[in-house]
Amino acid sequence: MGQAWNRVLTVGGDHVDTPEGSYPEDGDGGTLEMSYQPTACQHCENAPCVKVCPVNATFTREDGIVEIDYDKCIGCRYCMAACPYNARVFNWEDPQHVPEEGTGDVEERPQGVVEKCTFCSHRVEEGLDPSCVVNCPADARIFGDFDDENSTVSKYVAEYDTHQLLDDKGTDPKTYYIQGEMSPGRPWKGKELEEELDEEPTAEEPADVTGDESVSGAAANPTGGDD
Amino acid sequence: MTDDELTASRRDILKTGAVAGVGLGGGSGVLSTLQPADESGEAVDQVTSFLGEDQVVKTACGPNCRGDCPLDVFVRDGQIKKTEQQVPAASEFKRGCTLGISHVQRAYNAKRLKYPMKRASWSPDDPQPGARGEDAQFERISWSEALDLVAEQIQTTKGEYGPESVYWHAGSGSQGTSGYGRLKQLVGGIQDSFVYGIDTNVGQGFNRITGEGGVFMPPTNTVEDWANADTLIIWGSDIFASQFQMDAEWILDAKRNGAKLVVVDPMYTNTAEKADLWLPIRPGKDTHLALAMMNYIFENEVYDDTFLRQRTNAPALVRVDDGTLFDPTRVSDNPPDGGIVVMNEETSEPNVVGAETGGPFALFGEWTIDGVAVRTGLAALREQASEYQPADVAEVAGLSVADIKTAADWLATRGAGGILPAYSVGRYLYGHVFGQAYATLMALTGDYGRHGNVHAQHPSYGGPSLQTGDWGNPEGGVSLDTYGYQEILSLLENGDPVQPRFLYGTNSNMLGNQFPNRERWLNAMESLDTIVWADMYHTPTTQQADIILPAAHWFETEDVLGSDHHPNIRYREQAHEPLWEARDDYYIMAGIAERLGHGDKFPDDKREVLDRFVQNDDRLSWEQLRENGTVETDETPTVAYTDAFGTESGRITVYDDDAPTEKGPGLPDEGISLEVPEPLEARTADDWEAQNEYPLVFMQKHSKWRIHSQWANVPWLREVNREPQLDIHPKDAEQRDISDGEYVLVHNDRGSMVVRAKYNEGIQPGLVNTDQGWWAEDFVEGHYQDPISAETADVGRTFAFYDCRVEVERAAEEYQSNQYTQDNPRGTAGSASGGD
Repeated sequence: MGQAWNRVLTVGGDHVDTPEGSYPEDGDGGTLEMSYQPTACQHCENAPCVKVCPVNATFTREDGIVEIDYDKCIGCRYCMAACPYNARVFNWEDPQHVPEEGTGDVEERPQGVVEKCTFCSHRVEEGLDPSCVVNCPADARIFGDFDDENSTVSKYVAEYDTHQLLDDKGTDPKTYYIQGEMSPGRPWKGKELEEELDEEPTAEEPADVTGDESVSGAAANPTGGDD
Repeated sequence: MTDDELTASRRDILKTGAVAGVGLGGGSGVLSTLQPADESGEAVDQVTSFLGEDQVVKTACGPNCRGDCPLDVFVRDGQIKKTEQQVPAASEFKRGCTLGISHVQRAYNAKRLKYPMKRASWSPDDPQPGARGEDAQFERISWSEALDLVAEQIQTTKGEYGPESVYWHAGSGSQGTSGYGRLKQLVGGIQDSFVYGIDTNVGQGFNRITGEGGVFMPPTNTVEDWANADTLIIWGSDIFASQFQMDAEWILDAKRNGAKLVVVDPMYTNTAEKADLWLPIRPGKDTHLALAMMNYIFENEVYDDTFLRQRTNAPALVRVDDGTLFDPTRVSDNPPDGGIVVMNEETSEPNVVGAETGGPFALFGEWTIDGVAVRTGLAALREQASEYQPADVAEVAGLSVADIKTAADWLATRGAGGILPAYSVGRYLYGHVFGQAYATLMALTGDYGRHGNVHAQHPSYGGPSLQTGDWGNPEGGVSLDTYGYQEILSLLENGDPVQPRFLYGTNSNMLGNQFPNRERWLNAMESLDTIVWADMYHTPTTQQADIILPAAHWFETEDVLGSDHHPNIRYREQAHEPLWEARDDYYIMAGIAERLGHGDKFPDDKREVLDRFVQNDDRLSWEQLRENGTVETDETPTVAYTDAFGTESGRITVYDDDAPTEKGPGLPDEGISLEVPEPLEARTADDWEAQNEYPLVFMQKHSKWRIHSQWANVPWLREVNREPQLDIHPKDAEQRDISDGEYVLVHNDRGSMVVRAKYNEGIQPGLVNTDQGWWAEDFVEGHYQDPISAETADVGRTFAFYDCRVEVERAAEEYQSNQYTQDNPRGTAGSASGGD
């Protein structure tokens, strides 16, 4: 039932939570190594999925988020072949949800279309961090605006050793992986959680609802469920 | 989802990263796809998200992981849509895990019990206990019939066999105000308890020489202080996989502040992966290692002599002839209570000193006083440690000498130190000695009562307990005789000292988890005429019951809850009514009480009871609870162990003159006395009698996919963690001609199970593991509790789940066939269990 938008990959052995290398028997050093790589859509500046889509269903929003217009998607899956991060999944079946109607937070993705992480654009638009950020028990994720030099995310990328996945491919992801002995503290502190939102849709708040064609295109569907 | 989809190799082109930072570039203002409904109210097509439109219900999770996590539950159209971590009043304690945010699939799960049921072959006059089992059939009955039957059976059993034949059993599976404790005191009978029985070893050993804590994890500095630690040793605990929601971020804070992280574990775990130093210890050698570290500390004189003189009985004079403390009345006419005799180095005279008193006291030496030869307690400990040279222990424990010394050196010399064991080392038969050993080790390094000291994971907070008045001790109630879990088998099997006939079980899936030697329990339970069980789900345990009562999911109840592990009192608002005919446990208890003539002790409306708790407590108001979900309480000191210890001398007894003598398997008949830590082993010992027949040590670690046996049937989690597996080192597997992914028979003379082999380079050769908490129906055959002994030791009195040896072989060809490669090996728990 689940369509994985974000997978925490074990980098190591052939199974989840197992290392590669040799066990340090009898006091020898051993070579075991394991780490985790949370892998979701990297929201590339130069996104191969956007380029190959024959019907422009995959597009880059003005704010940089790469999204899919499920109405336009014809299920050809060129984008899946083009994505070097394996970030996309195809809906082979009719979607199933618990509860049946889903959360209604994000658009329904029907059978036959490709889907992937949206950076929780539906939350970002309301000033919320993506769900993966607010729910990370280790506070290992930071979300913010790279255009703002003073944002936490900008400071971290400036201060620590960071890299982008497969940077030699020239995709220029907007996701950075930070190395080093650090913890981002409590990124959620002082941030709004969803429960603090107004109960009514915030029509008066957004600056520009209709100005961007691609966004309004993505907004054409009635609500559906997420997984 | 397969492991292929969830792993990446370093050889893959993906590079690895410790932490992901994600951010947006480009982009100007905030955009919204949300549109308000127009005047006609029909513009719903324009609304693409209900985000922010759900009713947010403040509630709380409640299994025994000790996270006590406050949660926000999002409800719309009477349906739970999702859960999110809640920011409580003490906001740095926002927490939650993968399981907490998967609750919607627990609430709407096909294994939920819907109606009261009765075993078809059971009747009051002819209970047919032998007809229980996996094939037993159940028939739906009404609540009034069910409660009538329960009440009648209690009455009849008491009448025929006496009150002690009514047995009340509760596990740790559910937090909430049920009235269970109240009812059993009004009705009478006997009750069981974790003490002793489950996970009571490590704390017991720690408590014996410090006088602090009980039998579970001892007090520790609270997490706000952990960032001050300079060395943290996580000893036998996979803190980043189990209970990570409350501890992980604080450990990472300490690391960021420069703390060295040492992990002692025979398995390369999530936690070992984060360590600066990993000690891949052989199973059962933990006390050896602690003694080798003490040895290093003595040899290099890096102990904290001031602390030892002032806060331990290290300088206490001990008689060489019989090992007792030198009698203070021979030195002083009026010695202080619990005073110890020490040798004053300045005056060369013995003095008697009380607690928390330092001075120029000799830490080592031998003297003769009044013709009695004496030496210091610390000398006795040093003599013991001298038997455990790092080089020797390295060989015994499979470690490198340098690593042992490094760990000891960091703990002793880098500043504030901490050791965080959980319960795993206590799952060896004599694990309580490890509790004594690490408490002693930290006394040598002076790591008590200072900022940055840590003595346990999941710290307890004292403030947020509820003021429940007489709720737990009702007027007219009786106190029940209590038997530890380890004693219950004897009751059931031999009627010794009493024979239970009626069992009321709740909050527990004992036959799915943590009752070792399952077949023995199943047989023993045939002595019970009636088994009543209340649960949310149809578990392997309710399957063995005669009357099954469906309990409500936590989100379907209203409650006020204390918290043991963060300083917030929590409120549970009801998200919706219990599904089907499920009932809040409170109303189940009230229904039984009414039928037994105690109806006046249970108000018709549970809120009346909760209102008493709120009215009793100046800190609480309904308004606050409803609005915020939590109320902050903060009475717990940040730093623990700042005052005299709870021992008779007020000092840590690094030499325990009043030590018990442990007896049990693998030990000499006369037993071993434990004045100082002495490594004791049963089945993990190199010379264990059956070790050739059963060469592999079998452990069952906690995983991140379940809390004990709860969440076992959540489809999202099963996608990642499909079925029980056996972690086995490829070397051990290849020796046995077992390929990765094949089904294997894991067995010993007690029992067996069939599970899929999972090659794991990170498990020590000679050790195998199946994560605990899988239900009986998840196994092709048998269960992981079947090969484990229920035997306990005289002093430890604790089930030894990891003190188990097995042999593993490739399962018969029939097990390898396609029918066992489905989502579930028996084809029963896949889609049917899922709620999808």
